[in-house]
Amino acid sequence: MSTPIVEFKDFGFKYKSQSAPTLHDINLTICKGEKVLILGPSGSGKSTLANCINGLNPFSYDGVITGSCKVAGMETKDASIFALSKVVGTVLQDSDAQFVGLSVGEDIAFALENQSMPRKEMLPKVEWAAGVVGMSDFLMHVPYELSGGQKQKVALAGVLHGDVDLLIFDEPLASLDPRMGMTAVELIDRMHKEQNKTVVIVEHRLEDVLYRSVDRIVLMNEGRIVYDGVPDELLASDLLTRYGIREPLYIKAMKYAGCELTPDQNLSDIEGMDLSPFEDKLKQQQLVQLEKYVPKVGEEILKVQNVSFAYGKDPVLKNISFSVRRGEKVAFVGKNGAGKSTMAKLICGIIRPREGQVLINGTDYMKYSIKEIGEKIGYVMQNPNQMLVKDIIRDELELAMLLRGKSRQEIDEAVKKTLKMCGLYPMRNWPVSAVSYGQKKRVTIASILVLQPEIIILDEPTAGQDYRHYTEIMEFLDELNREYGITIVFITHDMHLAIQYTDRAIVFSEGELVADDSVFRVLSNDQVITRANLKQTSLYTLAMRLGIEPEAYIEHFINYERMVRAHGQQASD
Amino acid sequence: MKKILKTLLGVWNTKTVVAIAIGAALFGVLMNFGGIPIFTNTNLTTAMIIPVIVGSMFGPVPAFISCAVGNIIADLIGGWGFWFDWSVGNGVLGFIVGLLPLYGAKINEGIFKPIHAVIYAVTCVVGNAFAFGVITPLLTMAFYGGEESITFLQAIAGGIANTIILVVVGIPILFALARRNARSTNLKMEEEKE
Amino acid sequence: MDNRLLINLIPGETFLHKLTGKTKVRTFLILMVYIIMSFDLRLIMPLSILSIMGLVSLKPQWKIIKFFFIIIGLMNVLNIVLFWLADPNIGTMWCGGTTTVLFRLTERLFLSAETLWYLCVRFIKMMTSFMVSLVFILAITPSELAAGLYSIKVPYKICTIFSIAFRYIPDIGRDFQNIKISLQTRGVELDPKKSSIGKRLKQNILILVPLITTSFDRVGNISNAMDLRGYGRGRTRTYYSEHEELKADKVFKALYIILILFCVYWIITQNIMAETLSMWYPFV
Ligand SMILES: Nc1ncnc2c1ncn2[C@@H]1O[C@H](COP(=O)(O)OP(=O)(O)OP(=O)(O)O)[C@@H](O)[C@H]1O
Ligand SMILES: Nc1ncnc2c1ncn2[C@@H]1O[C@H](COP(=O)(O)OP(=O)(O)OP(=O)(O)O)[C@@H](O)[C@H]1O
Ligand SMILES: [Mg+2]
Ligand SMILES: [Mg+2]
Repeated sequence: MSTPIVEFKDFGFKYKSQSAPTLHDINLTICKGEKVLILGPSGSGKSTLANCINGLNPFSYDGVITGSCKVAGMETKDASIFALSKVVGTVLQDSDAQFVGLSVGEDIAFALENQSMPRKEMLPKVEWAAGVVGMSDFLMHVPYELSGGQKQKVALAGVLHGDVDLLIFDEPLASLDPRMGMTAVELIDRMHKEQNKTVVIVEHRLEDVLYRSVDRIVLMNEGRIVYDGVPDELLASDLLTRYGIREPLYIKAMKYAGCELTPDQNLSDIEGMDLSPFEDKLKQQQLVQLEKYVPKVGEEILKVQNVSFAYGKDPVLKNISFSVRRGEKVAFVGKNGAGKSTMAKLICGIIRPREGQVLINGTDYMKYSIKEIGEKIGYVMQNPNQMLVKDIIRDELELAMLLRGKSRQEIDEAVKKTLKMCGLYPMRNWPVSAVSYGQKKRVTIASILVLQPEIIILDEPTAGQDYRHYTEIMEFLDELNREYGITIVFITHDMHLAIQYTDRAIVFSEGELVADDSVFRVLSNDQVITRANLKQTSLYTLAMRLGIEPEAYIEHFINYERMVRAHGQQASD
Repeated sequence: MKKILKTLLGVWNTKTVVAIAIGAALFGVLMNFGGIPIFTNTNLTTAMIIPVIVGSMFGPVPAFISCAVGNIIADLIGGWGFWFDWSVGNGVLGFIVGLLPLYGAKINEGIFKPIHAVIYAVTCVVGNAFAFGVITPLLTMAFYGGEESITFLQAIAGGIANTIILVVVGIPILFALARRNARSTNLKMEEEKE
Repeated sequence: MDNRLLINLIPGETFLHKLTGKTKVRTFLILMVYIIMSFDLRLIMPLSILSIMGLVSLKPQWKIIKFFFIIIGLMNVLNIVLFWLADPNIGTMWCGGTTTVLFRLTERLFLSAETLWYLCVRFIKMMTSFMVSLVFILAITPSELAAGLYSIKVPYKICTIFSIAFRYIPDIGRDFQNIKISLQTRGVELDPKKSSIGKRLKQNILILVPLITTSFDRVGNISNAMDLRGYGRGRTRTYYSEHEELKADKVFKALYIILILFCVYWIITQNIMAETLSMWYPFV
C-alpha cells in the first residue's frame, strides 16, 4: 500500500512514576492519508499512545520506551519534540488551555513565531489557515469572546499551516455542543480530504465521529490493542459493549430488535446502509408492548415566572417561565452561551432577577439569603476543583454543616449516611488529591447532598468524563431520585444523556426558552433543534428511514432501554 | 555548590515559564482585588503568598521573577503607575521566601513540616527586613529623593504588613496545600468497624 | 473581571496606539529615567503637559481614569504632608540654604516658601510619573509589551511570561468567581461588610487554596500545548503582533535618541558631578 508514517513495533511505554508499563506489545502501522479512530475505555492508554507519536512522551512526561516507534522515518526516542512538531500537529482536548495567544491571529501564528518566521511571511499563512477553518473574521478577537467551538477551530488552524503531515486530535468533541461537534467532525474530514493529511482521532463519542467515515478503528484496552480493523466489523461484533464503550444508538436499537449484524452491511453509515434485511424485525420490535413509564412527581416545588436578567446592558435571559415538580428529572439544554448556567445561578439566588419572580415551595425567594436558598437548592458546578476547599474528603462534607452550626451528633450522622450513599465511606479519610476525577465529582455531589437539598442542580456533570465514570455518576443520581425523591436538574450538551436519564427538557436559545417538553418530543422537533444548536440522534434518522413516526420511535426506544436497565437484557425476550 | 546554584536557578523549561506566568497573573490579580489597604503604598495583601508557592515548586529565582513581573502586572492592570522601587523590593522578598526547597520543603510533593514552618517564618522576617528595610528605601531615595524617616517608615509599614500576611496566612495555606498535594502512600479502604 | 483590566488586549485606533511595541517600551523607559533624574520643574513641566495631551489623545474612559487620579492624587498629598510633618525645613537644603517662613503653627511646625516649592515640585513629579505610566498602560497591549521587551534584549522566555500571564488573568477571575459562588451557596458569609478582618483573612484562605490549585493545575496543559507547537526550539523568535515600523515610529526613534543623549549629559553634570543637593528655585 502507501508509505507508512507511523510505525510501532513491539512498542511499550512505562511512566517513570508508575511501577508497571502503561502500553504493552503495540504493533501498529498508520499509512499516509489514512484516517484512524482510537477507541478505548478510560485509562486504557489512548492518550499515552497519541503522546508517544507527538513526542510529549517521553520529553514532557518522563518514561521508558521499549521496542520502536518511527514517525516519518524518525525513531521518536532519538528525535526531539521540535523535530517531531514539524511533522505532527496535535490538538489537545482542553480547547481553553491550549489557546496561548492573546488574540485569534496570535494563537494561530504561535508555531510560526517559534520558528522565527518574519512577520511578512507569517501573515498570509495565518490568513489562509484561518480561512480554512472559517475564522477569518475573528483574527482580532480575544479568547474569552469565543465560544468553545470557535476555540476548537482556532486550535485546528494553529497546526494547519506549515508542513505537518499528521494531525492528532485528542478528544476534540468533549466540550462542544452537539451542532458544534458536528461542525468539528466535518472540518476534520475536510482537512483529511482536501489537505491530504493523515488523521488520528482519539474520542469516546463514536456515534459523533462516525458522522463522517473513518478508515480504521483501533480499540485499546489496558494498554493493549484488542482490535484493529474497519469500523463495520467492530460495530457488528460485541467488542464495544464488552469493553464498556457506548454503541451508536441506531446499532443499539438494531441489536435490541434482534437483528443479525454482519460486517459486510455498511453498518457505519446510517444514511447509506441497506435496511431492508432488518426492516421487519425493527418494525416488529416497535409492537412490543411496554408498560408506559410515568415519572412519580409531586407538587410544584420551583416556579420561575416571567424572569429576565442581564449582566450588563444586553439581556441574557428574556421573560422565562417554567416550573418544576418534586421528584422530576429535568434537563436544561441549548447552545453555548444560551444562558443555561445563568439560569442555574439565578435559581440559586446568586444573582437575582431584574424582572419577574422565582418561587420556592410557593414563596417568593427574594426574602431568603443565598445561604438559606442553599439549604433547599444545591448547585454542583462543572469543575470539581473549584468546589473542593478542604483536603480530607470527610472534612469537605462537614464544612457546610459546621458553618450552619449543626450539632456534632447531627453532623456525624448525616455525613456517614451521605458517604455511604455515595460509595465514599471507605475512603472518608483520604486526601482529595488521592481520588480520581470521577470520584472527586462524587465528593462534590456528596458535599451538596449532605445538606439534604430538595433540588440538586448539576452543571455539565459528565463533560470530560468517559462512559464508565459517566454511567456511574448518572446511575447514582438516578438512584437518589428514585429512593429519596430528590428533584434533579441537569445542564448538559449530551443528548444521549438527556434521553437516558431525564423526563423533560427545557431548551434555551439566545436567552429565550424555546421548548419545554418531554425529551423525545423535543428531539423530534426540527425547528427547536435548529434554533438551539441541537442535533438529531441517529434514532431519528433510523425512524425516518423506516417510515415510523420519530417521536413514537424514540419514546419506545427510551422505554425499552429503561426496562433493560431495570431488569437486565433477558426480560426483552 | 553547583547543586545549590541549580536549586536557586531552577530548571528553565516551558513548564517553568508557564508556572511563573500563572504565578505572576495570580499575584497581579490578588494585589488588585485581594487586599485591604492600611497605609500609603501599603496593602495587607494575600498576593505575597504566590512567590512562596512558585519558590517551593521551582526555586527562588523563578519566585523572584514571578514576584517582580507580578508587581509590574499589578501596576499594568490596576493603573497605579509604576513603582519600580517596590517591584524590586517585592522581587527580593520573593527570592528570599522562595528559598523553601533549599531547606527541604517541597509543597508540590506534600512535604511541609513544622520545622519548615519555623525556618520559613524566620526567612519571612529576615526577608522583609532586608527587602523593605534596605532595598526599597534605598531605591526610593535614589529614584525620587526624599525624607529618610518617611521613606523608611512607609517601607517598614509595608514590611510589617507583609510579614503578618506571610506568617499568619501563609503558614496555614502552605500546610493546606502540602496536605492537598500529599500523594499519601498507605491509603486503605476502611470499612465500618462496629 | 474582563472589563476591569485597564490594559487593552486589542490595539486601539489612535495615533499612540498605532506605534510599535518597540517604540512604546523604549520611549517609556527613557521617559522614566528622565523623570527620575531631576527635580527641575523646567524639565518636568513640559513632560507633564505632554502626558496630559497624550492621555487626551488616547480617548480613555474618563470615568475610570478619574477614580485613579483621585486615589493617586490623595496618596501623594498625604505623602507630602507626611514629608512636611517629618521635617518642615526640608526645602531649605534643596533651595540654596535660605528659609523664608510664610507662617508658623508651633515652634517646630512652620511652612517656608522653600519647603512649599519643594513639596509642590515633588507632587508634580510624582503625578507626572503616574501620568506617563498611565499613558503607557493605556497605549500598549500585552503582546506589544512582550515584543517591545524582546527588542531591548530581554530573553524571550521572560517576555513570554508577560503575555501568558495576561492571557490567563480572565480565566483566573472566572475561577475566583466560581469558587466564591460555591462557597456562598454552602453557607460561607463572604460579604465584607458583615465580617471582621480576622474572619476575612480566614475566608481568604478558604478561597485561596482552591484558586491556587486550579490555577496551577493548568500549567501542564498549557506547557504541553506550547511544546507541541515548538516553543523554545530556537534562540530567537518573532512576534505576530509587532507590525513594521511606520513613519511615526521613525520620528519617535529620533526623539528618544536625542532624549537619551540629553539624559546622559544631565545625569553626568547635574547628578554625579553635583556636590550638594539642589534644585531650580526661581525666587532666590
Ligand atoms: N503523566 C503520567 N504519569 C503517570 N502515569 C500516567 C500519566 N498519564 C497517564 N498515566 C497513566 O496511564 C494510564 C493510561 O492513561 P491515558 O491517559 O493514556 O488513558 P486514556 O485511554 O487516554 O484515558 P481517558 O479516556 O480517560 O483520557 C492511566 O492508568 C494513567 O494513570
Ligand atoms: N459573569 C458574567 N458577566 C457578564 N456576562 C456573562 C457572565 N456570565 C455569563 N455571561 C454571558 O451571558 C451569556 C450566557 O452565559 P451562560 O454561561 O449562562 O451560558 P450557557 O448556556 O451556560 O453556555 P455554555 O453551554 O457554554 O455553558 C453569555 O453570552 C455569556 O457571555
Ligand atoms: Mg485521554
Ligand atoms: Mg454553562
